[in-house]
Amino acid sequence: MDTFETHEVSLSTGPLRLRIAGQGRPLLHLHSGAGPRVSPVVTALTGRHRVIAPVTPAFDGTPAHPAVKDFEALADLYAEFIEKEIGEACDVMGESFGGRTALWLAVKHPALVDHLVLEGPTGFRQPTKDWPTPGDPIARDRMLYARPERAPHETRSAAEQAANSKAAEGYANGITYEAKLAERLPEITARTLIIMGHEERVIPIEAGHLLKARIRHSHLTYVFGAGHAVEFDQPKLVGQLVADFLERGESFIVREADVA
Amino acid sequence: MQFTFFHLMPWPDLKEAPTEWPAPNAEFNGERGTELYDSYISTMADAEKYGFDWVAANEHHYSPYSLMANCNLVGAALAQRTKSIKLAMLGNLLPLLNPIRVAEEYAMLDVMSGGRLVAGFVRGIPHEYIAYNVAPSESRARMREALALITKAWTEPEPFGWESEHYQYRSVSIWPKPRQKPHPRILLSASNEESAEFVGEHTAMLGMALIADLDSALKAIETYRRVARGYGFDPSPDDIVIMQQAVIADSDEQARALMEPALKYFHGLLMRPQLDAQRIVLQKSRFFGTDTQREHFVGRLSKLKARTLEDQIEAGSVLCGSPESVVKQIKRLRQHLGAGHVILNMKIGNIADSVVRRGMELFRDRVRPHVAAL
Repeated sequence: MDTFETHEVSLSTGPLRLRIAGQGRPLLHLHSGAGPRVSPVVTALTGRHRVIAPVTPAFDGTPAHPAVKDFEALADLYAEFIEKEIGEACDVMGESFGGRTALWLAVKHPALVDHLVLEGPTGFRQPTKDWPTPGDPIARDRMLYARPERAPHETRSAAEQAANSKAAEGYANGITYEAKLAERLPEITARTLIIMGHEERVIPIEAGHLLKARIRHSHLTYVFGAGHAVEFDQPKLVGQLVADFLERGESFIVREADVA
Repeated sequence: MQFTFFHLMPWPDLKEAPTEWPAPNAEFNGERGTELYDSYISTMADAEKYGFDWVAANEHHYSPYSLMANCNLVGAALAQRTKSIKLAMLGNLLPLLNPIRVAEEYAMLDVMSGGRLVAGFVRGIPHEYIAYNVAPSESRARMREALALITKAWTEPEPFGWESEHYQYRSVSIWPKPRQKPHPRILLSASNEESAEFVGEHTAMLGMALIADLDSALKAIETYRRVARGYGFDPSPDDIVIMQQAVIADSDEQARALMEPALKYFHGLLMRPQLDAQRIVLQKSRFFGTDTQREHFVGRLSKLKARTLEDQIEAGSVLCGSPESVVKQIKRLRQHLGAGHVILNMKIGNIADSVVRRGMELFRDRVRPHVAAL
């Protein structure tokens, strides 16, 4: 497994910080609203892929791009990045907030997304649903993780975490249910793996059903013993699942013989 | 109150106890087997006429103790021979089986019977793990995962995949789905406080068998109620299901005279090889989470085996006597445990089928009318 190196590229809307590791078919990994974190899943994927993990503008102290105000604009930003820096369609993986961005990318720029992996993507929570927003870290971890003891050690200060939350809220513009995105889901052509934690407490279960029903070539998988943060709760199960999906595409549903 | 007629389908012709597990099958006679299945299934189907609410079967392997290697087959036969009685599979040994197969077979039974399935899932007794070559120490995790997977298979509106430690299915979409919505009522068994917690967590009905005494049973029931309430489910008496070996005869004396040798055959011959396997499993594995649970399990069986019939009646472990005595014993279960559902296991060991049928008649005519409204 390679270690991540930091790079920066210049896009039409502003600079984009990236962390890159590994060799192989490019995989764009879009982080959650907590900000960029290297999970054991992402680390394992660097053994097979060149993992490119951008830092969404305004996260982790990077400059905001004034022209990029919502998820659609973020999707356009990543499309420009893929065209300029990767030069061909690539696999895209999005975690929570990053999953919502990835969905817009796959809707608006289908030719640039080969395989799509969504881990508990946000954007489909009906406004009528009363979801808790706990302020203290213990309650937050209980909501995010089925196995809070596996939560990554947070290296950011409270102020930095708050700034990341504010950045995430800024892109959402108060919209919890993206009706327009829901309508356009059938436009996605990428083969898609939707991963939901069996003990998910952040994203409504109906979000998984909606995505599965509307994305033509999609697979919905529940991971037992995982909450919202599936990559941290069950890294082994999720790592194997994602690697297999990206490697074998639609035939990932066929079990391969165990090799002694 | 509600009542279930349960059948273990024992082999009644053993001359001596097998000394080791598994019991050799050289003396199994196919023609006799056919006769027994005919008689047993007919008796079970007739439970509907005798006023029972459910008819129940369970699963055991490699033993003359029970000829019910797959109770779902018996459930399918009963679905065709009955109209209204609920079919309680109590249950499939979940950690040993392919959970998708169980989800499918239960769904078939529910649809075939017009929505009459009660879905029981049990962890089983230790020796079954040798029979199906599953590590006993994995039993709890497998049970938990398989139960979650089956519930998903029954209720998901879209095809889905499943990843857990013991079960991985990349694509699931069963046909048929159950007729009852969101799914058939689930019953889970518990014999101690730890397993009672598990039942409460899953907001299922609680099933208890082979009760050593009412006080220890009550402890587990109280745990179940407390945990279930924490999950937003307040169990009613109907959710507490107690299984008892039962002989109802025309007089107390007659009932005792019939039950005593039947229990002797059951514990002394039928149970013997299982106890041998059980000893090996319990020594070599973490089938039980703690030593206390292990001791509780072993102690409960030894206690039942060692006590006289009078002691067992007194302790509330069995139902035995005239209809009037059995009414009193059922009322005690209701009062002491808050149980609203009693399962009567009337085919004990080698007791004659005619005795079972007479007991069913007495239940219908002289027991049920006095306790149904409790």
